Amino acid sequence: MRKTEKVLLVKAFPYPHVIVKDFLDESTLDLVIDALAGLEYDFKESDLFSYWASVELTDIDHPAINILRDDLGDELWRKKVAEAFSSKPLSSIDMAAYVYGLGDFLLPHDDQVEERIIAYSLHLTPEITEDMGGSLQIFNVDENNNSKIADSIIPEYNSLIMFEVSKHSWHQVGEILQDIQRLTVTGWYHG
Amino acid sequence: MVDINFYYLEDATLSNLNRIFNSADIPFIRLSKFLDEAPNKIEPELISEEKIGYYNRKIGNALLEDFWKSSDFNDFLCKATGLKPKFRNSNHVSYSPGDYSLLHMDESEASRLLVVYDLTKEWRHEWGGYDIYTSPDKDPLVCNRDFGSLMIVKLDSNDLSCTRYVSIKSHFSAHIDRIIYDLD
Repeated sequence: MRKTEKVLLVKAFPYPHVIVKDFLDESTLDLVIDALAGLEYDFKESDLFSYWASVELTDIDHPAINILRDDLGDELWRKKVAEAFSSKPLSSIDMAAYVYGLGDFLLPHDDQVEERIIAYSLHLTPEITEDMGGSLQIFNVDENNNSKIADSIIPEYNSLIMFEVSKHSWHQVGEILQDIQRLTVTGWYHG
Repeated sequence: MVDINFYYLEDATLSNLNRIFNSADIPFIRLSKFLDEAPNKIEPELISEEKIGYYNRKIGNALLEDFWKSSDFNDFLCKATGLKPKFRNSNHVSYSPGDYSLLHMDESEASRLLVVYDLTKEWRHEWGGYDIYTSPDKDPLVCNRDFGSLMIVKLDSNDLSCTRYVSIKSHFSAHIDRIIYDLD
């Protein structure tokens, strides 16, 4: 179950984003991490990224994953997220689990695909620190396409990061610099 | 002016290169120790060039600009590839730790011959920084960094190229002279 029922203040700069800490309660968290550990992950690599990805979690019928899907995507929560971002109503979510190991990365992109309204990432790696890499870096981009990192968000355990998807929502996952497994459940709220 | 390694100017070698180039899935040859003496001092003036989501790198004048424009090199290209390339432009490009370029269909160009002369020293494969060439329905071509090697690749209108993200653990930067020749 969710431990938090509030989406606190959404920061406007460089584009709307928010961090919800302590998103799940401890027992749900344990069950979810156990369930994710039991999944198969395929290595995916392109010019843009390098990571391990699970199958689409909306296709899986598993008690813990079902709870997670509800916690991230039930009507009450979707309504709160839409209100916090002043977005149009959110109708559905998709979700998959991703593992970034040593040397993995995701380069700058804006996530823009039709019907994606809000992007989210639930972070599930205990005791991760900045020097391990894997921060979610969000960019402020000027009219000449030059970028500056506006915020570097350490993916703290049990924190849910959400941001509005737009032509401004440039972000990346910094290269993993130590032998860790950065585990997230990531996806989008759709309109 | 620099000189081409004499081995690559022999008729038998040129004939072989032509055959290999034209039989490859993506027409390509890689020639190690291409010059008699590779330039040792690499200190060109470079400026940062960024288009987020497309590239982030440094760029300047090609170290061997005169040579890439020369008739000697053009003759060599004609014989090695069987094509009639016309010099378009040349640059020195450097990829430092964290730099990258990506493949984008909207950067697609007309047919061209791309020549890359590698000036990267003491490189490790795990640092990335290698070149990737793609062509629809063909396996991608990956070219690792190798100091002193010349790479020649023919790219058609839907073919793309990029340089893989350089790890921030890299101790050095990747350096290349990158030359484009137009094809009729």
